Amino acid sequence: MVSPPDRPRTRLLTVVLRRALSALGTLWAAVTLAFFALRIAGGDPTHSLLAQGLASPEQVAALRSHLGLDDSLTTQYVHYLGDLIQGDLGESLYTGRNVTAVIGEQLPPSLQLALSAFVVSLILGLSLGLASGWYPRRVVGRVADALSALATGLPVAIVGLIAILAAAYLSRMFLPALALTRAGGLVLPSLTLGFGASGALARAIQAGLLETSAAPYLVAARARGIARGARLMWHALRPVLPLAVSLSALQAAFLLSGTVVTETVFSRPGLGRLLVSAILDGDYPVVQGLVVLGAAVYTLTHSVAEVIASHLDPRLRDAEA
Amino acid sequence: MKPDLRRSFAVAWLGLAVVLTTLAPRLTSHSVGQPVGAPLAPASSSLPLGGDELGRDLWTRLLYGGRASLGASILAAGLTVALGSLVGLLAALAGRWIHGLIVLVVNAALAIPGLLLALLLVAGLGPGFPTIVLAVGLGGVAGFARLARQAFLQGQTASYIAAASALGAGRTRVALAHLIPNARPLLVPLAATYYAWSLLGTTTLTFLGLGGDPTNPEWGSMLNAGRLYLQEAPHLVLLPGLAIALTILSVHSLASARARSFPDRPV
Repeated sequence: MVSPPDRPRTRLLTVVLRRALSALGTLWAAVTLAFFALRIAGGDPTHSLLAQGLASPEQVAALRSHLGLDDSLTTQYVHYLGDLIQGDLGESLYTGRNVTAVIGEQLPPSLQLALSAFVVSLILGLSLGLASGWYPRRVVGRVADALSALATGLPVAIVGLIAILAAAYLSRMFLPALALTRAGGLVLPSLTLGFGASGALARAIQAGLLETSAAPYLVAARARGIARGARLMWHALRPVLPLAVSLSALQAAFLLSGTVVTETVFSRPGLGRLLVSAILDGDYPVVQGLVVLGAAVYTLTHSVAEVIASHLDPRLRDAEA
Repeated sequence: MKPDLRRSFAVAWLGLAVVLTTLAPRLTSHSVGQPVGAPLAPASSSLPLGGDELGRDLWTRLLYGGRASLGASILAAGLTVALGSLVGLLAALAGRWIHGLIVLVVNAALAIPGLLLALLLVAGLGPGFPTIVLAVGLGGVAGFARLARQAFLQGQTASYIAAASALGAGRTRVALAHLIPNARPLLVPLAATYYAWSLLGTTTLTFLGLGGDPTNPEWGSMLNAGRLYLQEAPHLVLLPGLAIALTILSVHSLASARARSFPDRPV
């Protein structure tokens, strides 16, 4: 539907405010779900301390009252929310350290990995999507199509292990100086994670291009004598972009989960390793803090992506009004 | 690869995997947990694929590992599909309040990326293989429920539903006789996609070392154990990795083929 030209446009600020409010609501619901799911599924978190003989019954009793575990679930929940607003995620059961501080320590390597993987996924996703959507019958398009199928389907763990093998082979055969497998290196982990994250983007751009390249306005542009490259950039790609931007929120979810796996594959320190060891230890405040952080990052990216997408596409903007 | 050829490959691999893992006790006489040769023993007539890092028969462990992985992912996906359809159906049929509550809980669950949600549940229930099945199954429910609800809502506006109601059919009758059968073409490819997700989820969680006892083989935990011998014995990683990858890619290609074979129906 075409909106009448004199209709006032929805202002960016309105869109941002509306998005922020709904994001806060979703985040609150997610925090609540995480809190109760963990409590209901887990029962008493101090049992494992007792069972492993890490603490005497008296110590456990002291810890329980210190953590407020003797209060009712509702009281604990209210306390947790109150602390959370002040950025306090509680204390680790094992080290007694503040969870926010522990997460802060492990954040840099994970952030570095996730951000560089995001850049890789944008470059790869855009090129694979462009190649397979704009040249569907040429060899380059078919290769890109197969690669994006692999990127969508292959588990990150397997991609990572194959990458390590390939890099070891390459550096043994051809490039001993390059040392791709160097410990703590960022190249292989971010390529691995970025490849996995590029699949959805490539698929979306491919599907969008295949659809728009058959659209009447593209035939018209061709008839007007507009060059192929300009047609791609200004006519075919433009309607695809908002969807691609919305999809980057999905990529954020993938990067968050994928970081956990990638860090294990490459034995990198970071939040993912922290999460796995906290799960094995039954250190529920750490697990909960990390999941809340994940939900917050995801909700934030999702909202920002929606705002940008609605800015790029006037139809989306007016539909929200 | 041509779509038809790809589909034949997919069917062949899945068939082979099911037959081999089902017949596992007949195809090998070695024990799963006991070493039968030297660590990383080369392939021989008694050990067709050689030994693993502890000298256990790799062929036996791949077969039984497949049983565990495929079985666990089928159970988890079954849980997701059953619960997700139920929640989706309830959301589509229920009144405003229940609908609102379901949407709130589903959106909350969707705000936590799927694998993180499963990890949260594993943390609550404690590591172990049964836990992983439950966690992966429950982790997918919200996503499935949302898409299932859309499928049911689409059917609900159809004129045959109005006709059935006019003829005096109750809500339950409409749901069982009309909504569910007509949503099936949408739900079946969705279920297949979630099966792939379940296999990915279970093998990922066991790869992270959350699967409990490593004596019992499972493709994901074999991947993790072989990781330390990547240079000396890459096949310890490549074989279970290939099995997981082939299964997931096969299911993906069949799911999209199935989705294509049900074009938009007139009703």
